[in-house]
Amino acid sequence: MGFSEYTAAREYLGIIGQPVITYIFITSLFLGFFSILYLLKKEKYYDYLIKCLYINAGLYVLGFIFLIWFHIQIYNTVLIEYPDFLRQMIPVGSSRFVLPLWIESEKLYFWAMVSLVFALTVKRSKDLVSLLGIVLSVFSALIYFFSNPFKEPLPIVHNEISRWYAALAAGDGSIFQIAGTLYGRITFYYNSTYMWTHPPLLFIAYASLIITAAACVYMLIKRDKLYDEIAYRYAKPGYILLTTGMLIGYPWAVEAWKDSAWWWDPKISGSIMMWVLYSAYLHARIYVQRGKMWRATAYLGIACFASLVFTYLLTYIVPGIHSVVQP
Amino acid sequence: MKSHMQKYDYYLIILTTFILFAIGIVCVYGITYYNYLAANPQWTRTIQYSQYIDDMNSYLYPFLVLLLISLGLCIPKRLFEQDTLIKFSALLLGVTIILTFLLGIGTGLGFILAVMVGVQGLVLILTFEKSKTIRFEKEGYIGKLGSSLLHLGVALLIFNFVTLRESSFHIMIFWFGTILITAGNIFSFYPDKINSLYPPH
Repeated sequence: MGFSEYTAAREYLGIIGQPVITYIFITSLFLGFFSILYLLKKEKYYDYLIKCLYINAGLYVLGFIFLIWFHIQIYNTVLIEYPDFLRQMIPVGSSRFVLPLWIESEKLYFWAMVSLVFALTVKRSKDLVSLLGIVLSVFSALIYFFSNPFKEPLPIVHNEISRWYAALAAGDGSIFQIAGTLYGRITFYYNSTYMWTHPPLLFIAYASLIITAAACVYMLIKRDKLYDEIAYRYAKPGYILLTTGMLIGYPWAVEAWKDSAWWWDPKISGSIMMWVLYSAYLHARIYVQRGKMWRATAYLGIACFASLVFTYLLTYIVPGIHSVVQP
Repeated sequence: MKSHMQKYDYYLIILTTFILFAIGIVCVYGITYYNYLAANPQWTRTIQYSQYIDDMNSYLYPFLVLLLISLGLCIPKRLFEQDTLIKFSALLLGVTIILTFLLGIGTGLGFILAVMVGVQGLVLILTFEKSKTIRFEKEGYIGKLGSSLLHLGVALLIFNFVTLRESSFHIMIFWFGTILITAGNIFSFYPDKINSLYPPH
């Protein structure tokens, strides 16, 4: 087992995954199309919409199974054996990648897949599903064009693995630096228990809170109490997971970043902002029956979701310790 | 009397919502200012970074004090009558302001947080014992317990962040606070489901 087996698995993932993501894209177009038709008062298209939703969710799950297979292949084929010199400073002789399924281009995919599953749970609320159908269709299109996990799978991990094997083959001094960096990345990032709990809790929360936002939009349009109840029903698990997921990130930051400049980093400020807004929403909702409070809570629910999207995008638009962009 | 108290609770909730919203605005300011300062890639290694942290903390702390006062009004109202409650809160705020002027915002905030942890702890014990001396908005034992756990967890976590960051117990207290908050959320949001797990004999 080694680099050639790993690259073969990576190529194979592209071969089997690319058709799946293409079908996801095509069914998403249909999903968006039928959703718009339903919203244009063409009731008869609702069944097609639901079928598209099921097919889309099924395809996402199938692609996810392929990703799991690829991650298992990485674990089996790539072994990082640290040089003797380094073993005196670190507590392990070798490491394997236990890669989470929500890193790099896979995180949007994971979020979209969970969102589709949540959307299926509100299928009785036809208006809501049709709005979600449009949102999820745009989501899938974005994934297909900008965050496709089957096209060049895990480019950063691939670069790290390739550099390791290249240094191993060259046998020069660069291996010490590369091995040291890899030890930190594998121990404190990829294989960390926090990495396996903090992001997925947040992504599942985000998926639940999409339903809340969509229901708040309909609350404003239809002025029907039912939508407020749906919004609240999905805000509850969303808030629990959001709070716990965010809190789990704290000891991880203390452990992994130690004295680095992470406090009041834009992503952390954004996360606090998002959390206080959702807390404000849940507080305001206590008096939803009173006067025009239903309207205020609906606007607040939409503002909360805008802050969620903004916080997610902060990684890509503002520099910081969480970010992929540099000044 | 009841409608008077309900009106009072309503305005308290509105006040809390506005305070939370204001904290959100402080965060937006932080993001914008961080982005502005990051034009120099090395800025986090300069004095500017510690200055930025101090500035952000100083903008946040007044709202945190207000939030704690509002939570304080929220929680001891379960213990005291309204007049006593307002006097208690005014006294708390007064002592906090005096301590802030004499010993700094950290000490002032530490004081109010310590009082809050004590009060919330007392509320939790009384709630757990099903005491009739406390009054809740929520109905049902599990919901009340959840609310008490949640508020104690929040007060404990903020106290831990503000005053115990250098303590060797910091992470342990953090996990304890996290468990309280998570359990409090679950109990508050799903009292009926939890009740159904333990049907009465």
